[in-house]
Amino acid sequence: MNSSNILHVLNLLTPEIVLCGLAFGVLLLDIIFFRSDSVEHRHEQLGCSVIIGLVMVFFIYALQYMDWQNTFVVGHGAFVASRLNTLFKMAVVGLALITVVIGFKTPYSTHVGEYYGLMLFSVLGMVFLISSEDLLMIFIALELISLTLYVLTAFQKGARRSVEGGLKYFIFGGFSAAFLLFGLSYIYGATGHTSLREIAGALQGDQLAKVPMKMLGIGILFTLVGLGFKIAAAPFHLWAPDAYEGAPTPVAAMIATGSKIASFVALTKLLLIGLPAAAGSALSWPTRWHSGWAGTVAIIAVLSMTIGNFAAIMQTNVKRLLAYSSVAHAGYILVAIVAIQASGVPAPSAAPAIYFYIIIYALTNIGAFGVVNAIGSKAGGDDFEHFTGMARRSPYLSLLMLIFMLSLAGIPPLAGFFGKFYLFAAAVQADPKNLGLLWLVAYAIAMSAVSLYYYLKLTKQMYVLPAKDPRRVTSNPAMNTSLGLIGLMVLLMGVFPNKVVERFENLNANPYPIWEAAVPPPPQPEIPVPAPAEKPAVPAPAAPAPKS
Amino acid sequence: MIPLEHWIIVSSCLFAIGVAGVILRRNALVVYMSLEMILNASNLALVAASRYNGNLDGQVFAFFTIAVAAAEVAVGLAIIVALFRLKQTVQVSDVTTLKL
Repeated sequence: MNSSNILHVLNLLTPEIVLCGLAFGVLLLDIIFFRSDSVEHRHEQLGCSVIIGLVMVFFIYALQYMDWQNTFVVGHGAFVASRLNTLFKMAVVGLALITVVIGFKTPYSTHVGEYYGLMLFSVLGMVFLISSEDLLMIFIALELISLTLYVLTAFQKGARRSVEGGLKYFIFGGFSAAFLLFGLSYIYGATGHTSLREIAGALQGDQLAKVPMKMLGIGILFTLVGLGFKIAAAPFHLWAPDAYEGAPTPVAAMIATGSKIASFVALTKLLLIGLPAAAGSALSWPTRWHSGWAGTVAIIAVLSMTIGNFAAIMQTNVKRLLAYSSVAHAGYILVAIVAIQASGVPAPSAAPAIYFYIIIYALTNIGAFGVVNAIGSKAGGDDFEHFTGMARRSPYLSLLMLIFMLSLAGIPPLAGFFGKFYLFAAAVQADPKNLGLLWLVAYAIAMSAVSLYYYLKLTKQMYVLPAKDPRRVTSNPAMNTSLGLIGLMVLLMGVFPNKVVERFENLNANPYPIWEAAVPPPPQPEIPVPAPAEKPAVPAPAAPAPKS
Repeated sequence: MIPLEHWIIVSSCLFAIGVAGVILRRNALVVYMSLEMILNASNLALVAASRYNGNLDGQVFAFFTIAVAAAEVAVGLAIIVALFRLKQTVQVSDVTTLKL
């Protein structure tokens, strides 16, 4: 449904407008009313108002989710409001809420208003990234997320680690954003459109012959490099360990969860809505390997799983361990992205599996970062030695960490197991007759066995080794409650995984679902495209005519 | 009229120079300038493609890119200044507190 009425558009954008107002409001409140107060007091006031505001935005999204049946498109896909997108936006806002709670009253800097303001702006970027189906909007939203996160990473201005992590994140990030933009400009050059659905239309049927394939190929490759950086897939992951270690822990949690969800949604949209015709195939190399993005994504997936898992084994810092484990998890998700278009038609179970896994991954990771923040701020650091014997010093937090680690490793009663199960099952089902993707799935399962080693290494540190320092570690009740809730959700999603996956599958019946790959192109842009293309050519021969 | 290929070749050259600058130079500011050059290479490709595709999407895209690049300058220079205050250097090779 195309909406052009301005009031209707404003109505659709209500939660985003509230979020934007909240971000500016926090900055203004801090300057006008709280400038002379103590840092502690400002943290309380502003933190509480941000929490209230985010809860409000969350409920507006929940209402929209329950209320809507249709999908609304603003301006050729610059903003697409659908139930699926709203579900992801709820997840992102919820994660931001948890991030604010776990970072509550941890004084990283005296710039309290800026801290919350930037965090809200990055949430705004994520929300827009999730709902955009247009190359321009994808680029701008990604940059909004990145720029705010660079600043937040370097937020502890007095600490070398923080500034250094920020600089590395910034240089790698700027480099990859430039690659992304270059790739997008080539895709636009080859197809003549910035809207993903129009690009898909330009690549369909006999239209395909007019498209310069080499240019499109280069464009897709560079775009994959740029987005591969955002999801921290190897070999573009080098920033991740440094940024995670250097950044204040709540910011690292934000980078690892919210921005990951948004980037994965953008990547799946770009590949499935915009470029399904250029998928190629990665089935059983070399006989059925056709050039296209599927092969490239398969290579990136294999590299991510290998490098992520083996590099994680050698880490002695928990945040770096989580960084490398997130590289490995990006690899698992990419396996299903390869599967989604594997046999020419969209695989029905792959997209829900991807979305389920992203949500579970984000939930588990934010829990793990919450525990690291709670223990790290009391024990004086987040190296393995600070976690030694933590089971006796803080049984509650250790139990939660155990749950999160086992879920990340994929141990049966927990959510992580079912996430992986759906993911790999979807990859196998993508080509049921020949099992063409079995090589990739077998490799992924072998690699997740490797991952068990380093997750258990951390739990051994906490449960088996004796504590050097017998003092108890406690955290404030708000943090305990929210972390407990996350742990409970990880358990429940493992016990009833079908309840969540059903939700994604039901959205399949939506008239405008995002994995409906080959949408018939809108009729209007089809006809004018050849005409303006000839236009520049017409005046050139016409010009010499009057002369002769 | 100059064919599209020529514009694409120029923009690819600019892109290659920018990438070489980012990889080879050690001064954070020069790395930063090279990044800007890559962005400008994309701008050139966008505007040229816009002319040949006969729609204005690419030119609008280029304007937005310029604005984003300006925002990136602000953030990047702030981080470089913060680094300089701590370490009195802007050489990337001296930034080694965190192991890679």
